Amino acid sequence: MTVEEFRLPDVGEGVAEGELVSWLVSPGDRVEEDQPVAEVETDKALVEVPSSYDGTVEELFVDEGEMVPVGDVIISFRVGEDGAEVASDEGDAAGEAAGDEADTAPEPDADDDAPDAEPETPAGRTFAPPSARRLARELGVDVAAVDGSGPGGRVSEADVRAHAESGDDAGADGDAPEPRPAPTPTDVGSGDRTSAVRKRGEDGAAEPSQPAASGAAPEPAGRDTTLATPATRKLARDLGVDVDDVPTDETRDGEAFVTGDAVQAYADALESAAAEPAPEPEPVDLDGTAAATAPTSGDGTPAADETVPYRGVRRTIGKQMERSKYTAPHVSHHDSVAVDALVEAREELKPKAEDTGVNLTYIPFVMKAIVAGLKEYPYLNSELREEDEEIVLKKEYNLGIAVATDAGLMVPVVDNVDEKGLFELAAEVRDLATRARERKLKPEEMKGSTFSVTNFGAIGGEYATPIINYPETAILGLGAVEERPVVRDGEVVPAPTLPLSLSIDHRVVDGAVAAEFANTVMEHLEHPLLLLTQ
Amino acid sequence: MVVGDIATGTEVLVIGGGPGGYVAAIRAAQEGLDATLVERDAYGGACLNRGCIPSKALITGSGLAHEAGNAEFMGVHADPAVDMAQMIEWKDGVVDRLTGGVEKLCKANGVNLVSGTASFVDEHTARVAHGGEGQGSESIEFEHAIVATGSRPIQIPGFDFGADHVWTSADALDADSVPDRLGIVGGGYIGMELATTYAKLGAEVTVVEMLDDILDPYEDDVKRIVRKRAEELGVEFHFGEGASEWSEGADGGYRLHTETEGGEESTYGVDKILVAVGRQPVTDGLDIENAGIETDDRGFIETDDRTRSAVDHIHAVGDVAGDPMLAHAASKEGIVAAEVIAGEPAALDQQAIPAAVFTDPEIGTVGMTEAEAEDAGFDPVVGEMPFNASGRAMTTGHTEGFVRLVADEETGFVLGGQIVGPEASELIAEVALAVEMGATLEDVAATVHTHPTLAEAVMEAAENARGQAIHTLNR
Repeated sequence: MTVEEFRLPDVGEGVAEGELVSWLVSPGDRVEEDQPVAEVETDKALVEVPSSYDGTVEELFVDEGEMVPVGDVIISFRVGEDGAEVASDEGDAAGEAAGDEADTAPEPDADDDAPDAEPETPAGRTFAPPSARRLARELGVDVAAVDGSGPGGRVSEADVRAHAESGDDAGADGDAPEPRPAPTPTDVGSGDRTSAVRKRGEDGAAEPSQPAASGAAPEPAGRDTTLATPATRKLARDLGVDVDDVPTDETRDGEAFVTGDAVQAYADALESAAAEPAPEPEPVDLDGTAAATAPTSGDGTPAADETVPYRGVRRTIGKQMERSKYTAPHVSHHDSVAVDALVEAREELKPKAEDTGVNLTYIPFVMKAIVAGLKEYPYLNSELREEDEEIVLKKEYNLGIAVATDAGLMVPVVDNVDEKGLFELAAEVRDLATRARERKLKPEEMKGSTFSVTNFGAIGGEYATPIINYPETAILGLGAVEERPVVRDGEVVPAPTLPLSLSIDHRVVDGAVAAEFANTVMEHLEHPLLLLTQ
Repeated sequence: MVVGDIATGTEVLVIGGGPGGYVAAIRAAQEGLDATLVERDAYGGACLNRGCIPSKALITGSGLAHEAGNAEFMGVHADPAVDMAQMIEWKDGVVDRLTGGVEKLCKANGVNLVSGTASFVDEHTARVAHGGEGQGSESIEFEHAIVATGSRPIQIPGFDFGADHVWTSADALDADSVPDRLGIVGGGYIGMELATTYAKLGAEVTVVEMLDDILDPYEDDVKRIVRKRAEELGVEFHFGEGASEWSEGADGGYRLHTETEGGEESTYGVDKILVAVGRQPVTDGLDIENAGIETDDRGFIETDDRTRSAVDHIHAVGDVAGDPMLAHAASKEGIVAAEVIAGEPAALDQQAIPAAVFTDPEIGTVGMTEAEAEDAGFDPVVGEMPFNASGRAMTTGHTEGFVRLVADEETGFVLGGQIVGPEASELIAEVALAVEMGATLEDVAATVHTHPTLAEAVMEAAENARGQAIHTLNR
């Protein structure tokens, strides 16, 4: 019998890591090949990871909720240990085979403490030039945790920076320098050392400026640099006071100078202020981790903030949004279209759709109208490849449909919208949306869109500024179809209208083209018969 | 001069002006800190005054004399006479220029120089006793201190350095004449450098060494080349023998007595005895316990990778902080100490510290040997280039030795190198750069080297490790 390690497989193109959401097996469980052993949440999908072995679960290497890079060992199986099972496969030879294996198999635990991951360098050695190592210390990055891009995995300064920006090192122990109070140079650059070195007798020669009256906490001066003798600095350290905060009117060589008496007075003032309850600004807890310092709730008991991990789908969405918004200069174009005819058309078709088990919404009509617009204005169905200095005009019309789920936004894709009928589109959108909410989408079902639609109006709202589903060039947002006042023949009358919000990547498309595209879409929604031409 | 005790303050107090201390003081000053350097003897420390520099001067002088007198094969016929006193005078001139330079550099950078002997009063105060009676003393309050007091030669029982004919390495570098017979206790690098020097100057040199070979930490093939050459120069080796005592000889000289582990005794006729069995840290008189610091069993101050002692604001650099007891290691530590004090993210994170032995031929090493690489878990691949295949080596008349590179087979990273041969001390710098930069064998092999130079051998060794050498047979 042997112990086989199993690594997190590539669960989808481009997916580098996944959150191990739950284990479906525990150590000692018997598993068969292809039996799901874990649920892993990756790039917007929940994937079941199947076993590659028949055997018994030996050890789980990852806790639920942990992020696991693709290729890391997550579980090990004891394979071929069970005589009975071997017997069923190999008949009479079973006993013998089992015996043989017992003799020749390596120690089952031999690998336990070395689940050899990537090409690991021995002795914790990381190959990086001194400049990169120093940068790593500066940025608080454990250089051993950085993926090197150089030959043999050599770590460059750029790798260190990329690692630091990815934030993967947060909370990691390792080589990061412990924060140490840096001394404050007292005469930076002045070259005049007499400003810092003084005879002891000079201490306290001048009267310190008295800090604010007792009762109120003295205002910290908060200077960048302060001159003080070493003895004064030591006193400040002993009293737990930052010399830069000690108020003083005295200067030496143009720099604030603090005496021992001033430090003592400031420390005393701080103490007396602390003794009387004075309203103090609460420390701001930006990341919500320090529950102990959280503001108090009404009844006086501390109300602990809740910390929610920024991981999995939430983080994937965040990164994608960040990339889009910071890469593509967005412009949003708003308009609204009266859709009397569309409402009628839908009413008319709805029963027919229901006969075939389809719930017909406005979305399929809008999708068809979009395709009409995209055909006329192909730049909205494009992708800018900046590095290649190319704009790729897509010949497929694959529309991403934004779906709100409990876990966050997902954008499944309906391929070849131009080739599909209204009912077919309706059925497909419904299926994708349902499975998105159940987190059952496969990663490939969320790839390949060339333009996206977001139906924010389903929940409420007239206009929005949608963020492009990067690297697409445009996204169309739909408000709710409602009766709104419109002007017809000089009179304000109610009419069903559909507000539209179109965001474009202004690098690729200008506002005029966006408006023309919107006009074409609106024209097709206003006159749904035109959709027949599509 | 004021008699009595005056108090001054400084941000960084550096004790000891050797290559660890003066470098630390200058860097601290460059960082904008107020730095005070206390030196009790001469700026530059053992390195400039009694070690690296003087020995290199004599090694060069003796080497030149020896070369000139042994170049008949090139058609050069000469019989050089060495005026030892003049060579020492020249050496002293070099040392003076360098130590004067150190002092000027310190001043130019705004380092406050104080001469005297420092000792700790408490963890923020040191007292400096100025040299001589009635010169007074001063107290210096400091925020941070860097102890860089260095090391001194170890004295062994039976060989009091007070005797005129018992030499420390410093004495051997300051002799006004060449002894007829020189006994050397210890076959380490100091013993071997001076054995070579004095053999070339015409002394009959006898080396006694307790171990069974010279240059203990080096690999056998490295040792062998240096030992063979020393033997050619007339150096006599006695291994497995420890020096026990000396006595006066009948011929006006002395007798060096040795003893093996088994109790077998021998005596060798000598005129001077150089004891070179190692160096020990200098912490006596420093009262370092007053600052809350204890030294280890051997007297060294233990430090972390940011050169901090057990007391955070007191650093130790150089020989007093332990191995490797090398000037360039001390300087690196000094820089790190000053930068750490200045709040910079500095650390002793070098991959390797190169070392050189100025024997004939020289030895230069850096990083791991093949065996060390294996122990560290690498799968080492080795490439070699013997100097007898180097055109430039042949034209110098020195073809002993080789360049060896050790690399990780999988990634190609250069892990270390050993060079024995002409200019090995210079050539090792390239290997050190490769190790420090994380260069691969390919990087070194693909770097075009000037022809005809000795340095080509480094490129060739890298090619050899890759099985692509042109001028040697690939392994």
